[in-house]
Amino acid sequence: MRNSRYLLYLILFLILLTLPLYTGVYFLNVMDIILIYMALALSWDMLLRSGQISFGMAGLFGVGGYAAALLHLHTGMNPIVSIALGGGVAGALAWIIGSAVLQLRGMYFAIVTLALAEIFRVIVRNLPDLTGGPEGTVLPSAIFAGDSTRTYFLVLSVAVASVLASEIFQRTRIHFALTSIRNDEIVAKSSGIDVFKYLVFIFVVTSAIQGVVGGAYAHIYGFVSPEGSFSVDFTLLPIAMALLGGMHSTWGPVVGAVVLGVVSEFLKLQIPYGHLMVYGLIIVVAILFFPQGIVGTLGQKMKKTGSQ
Amino acid sequence: MSLISKLKQSNYQIVMVTAVLVVILAFWKPHVLIEGVQRACLYAVIALPMALILGIVGIINLAHGAYMMLGAYFAYWLNVYTGMDPLLAILPALAAFFLIGIASYRAIIKHVLGTPELNQLLLTFGLAMVLEQLANLMWTSRPIKLPLQYVSSSATIGSFTFGTYEFVYVGAAILMLVGLQLFLKRTDLGQAAMAVGQNPRGARLVGIHVDRTYLLIFSLSIALIGALGAIFMTRHSIFPLVGGAFTMKSFCLIAMAGIGNLMGILWCSLILGLAENFVLSFRGYAGWADILFFALIVGVIIVRSRQRQVK
Repeated sequence: MRNSRYLLYLILFLILLTLPLYTGVYFLNVMDIILIYMALALSWDMLLRSGQISFGMAGLFGVGGYAAALLHLHTGMNPIVSIALGGGVAGALAWIIGSAVLQLRGMYFAIVTLALAEIFRVIVRNLPDLTGGPEGTVLPSAIFAGDSTRTYFLVLSVAVASVLASEIFQRTRIHFALTSIRNDEIVAKSSGIDVFKYLVFIFVVTSAIQGVVGGAYAHIYGFVSPEGSFSVDFTLLPIAMALLGGMHSTWGPVVGAVVLGVVSEFLKLQIPYGHLMVYGLIIVVAILFFPQGIVGTLGQKMKKTGSQ
Repeated sequence: MSLISKLKQSNYQIVMVTAVLVVILAFWKPHVLIEGVQRACLYAVIALPMALILGIVGIINLAHGAYMMLGAYFAYWLNVYTGMDPLLAILPALAAFFLIGIASYRAIIKHVLGTPELNQLLLTFGLAMVLEQLANLMWTSRPIKLPLQYVSSSATIGSFTFGTYEFVYVGAAILMLVGLQLFLKRTDLGQAAMAVGQNPRGARLVGIHVDRTYLLIFSLSIALIGALGAIFMTRHSIFPLVGGAFTMKSFCLIAMAGIGNLMGILWCSLILGLAENFVLSFRGYAGWADILFFALIVGVIIVRSRQRQVK
């Protein structure tokens, strides 16, 4: 049973790896978007496992994007290195903010992160010499000169790295620490878990992932702007994906990202202005009626049929 | 004990600091003082209904600003189709948003009471997105402003001219604060609501209908914020995302004042409003004013967590 499962992962991975051989540019572009949102959804869910909720993806995504683009532009750094450093900048910022704010958790943390995108947008807009101000900055060329196959591999490696990070976090003692913090902080504290340290750590890691994704996105499109890079899409869609797929697991956000990623391509054509409403509705409906998500609900059914 | 944590002990000390700031500003930059007070009252009047929901129903409504935005579009809509003045539209907005509040509570909010805070945050966030995108679909994202003559009225004292229409916010803030205090302290319903806010279980034991109280307070707050949208749209241009910043600033004020401290919200909003207008008055740095509330909220959180550790 276990071996067949790994075989399945291997086949899936091989299909993803060989995808550029038999698909066109449009399909690869859709895959890029799906994988980007998948990494964001996973990073959001990783933090959620500790019981903290972040609405700050768009902010850290945008910071990573700006950092990567500006480092590349001003120092002539290799784009790949600048993407990694973009993640570093987002992580460092998360460390500063987390150290200040994670002492008070729950709604205080949530609202501070909700404000992050807005705050970073104000900062970026007010530093025109560095960031290009309200108009944003255009890079001389997209990464790999816009080659869709190599771009796809870049995004794929970011997404696979986040899946691996999520799985590592699920299988090590970090998982137990975070889960016990989520269930009961006082119990966690009295069993010797340094709650604050773990929360800051996981916030920094997830923010760094979001920064890397933002950096990759900025380089793929060769453009950063206050409105585009800090767009609410990058907060709303990953949350809807993770909730639709199922919280507190690796496969929930992955499945949610694939399903919603395909649906969103369709929705964008059907309702060009206001397709975001559907994601809001998904969040509301998922919380009210099926908090387990697709993966959780299916898993329960399979367990039931298995035990019968 | 730090300065700010002492401040928090009573409104009295916050009032003292505000008073000193006001006196300094009155001599140095009278513009900042008057416009700051007007802005502060706008913040206070938006934060009060949110504080009411948080204090009594116990959920943080991230869709608060979205309801205000809908109220503004409601007034706009009435103006377009019936020619009604937005200030007159306050009354139909109160009624309409009371009903919308009842519907929202029955259909959505009720089901997450008593579930983890996380679900409530996610749900109201999703709700905010739905309402904002609904407005986007119906009215597009183009900013809208009604051409009203009376909003540009001004007065002159000596060589110093300022807008007088914005004092409507000061009036609204005082009216709402006094009204809410009277309602909560002097009426049976208000007393019952206070009891529910303090201890829902105890309130249920002494025979208060807790669910109905939640419904009433939630709908009342939505009605107030919807009516406020009508006032807001007379002076400001509106667009679907206009409410988001107010949701966050309202939370900032509530966190500063402490949950359940309605009077404190007025003083804290004075601090925020004056500080923002102070920054706005410097040419070239005006864009940074929107960052102040974030600094305040982070400061409050740091101070609060210190206090908790001391205890």
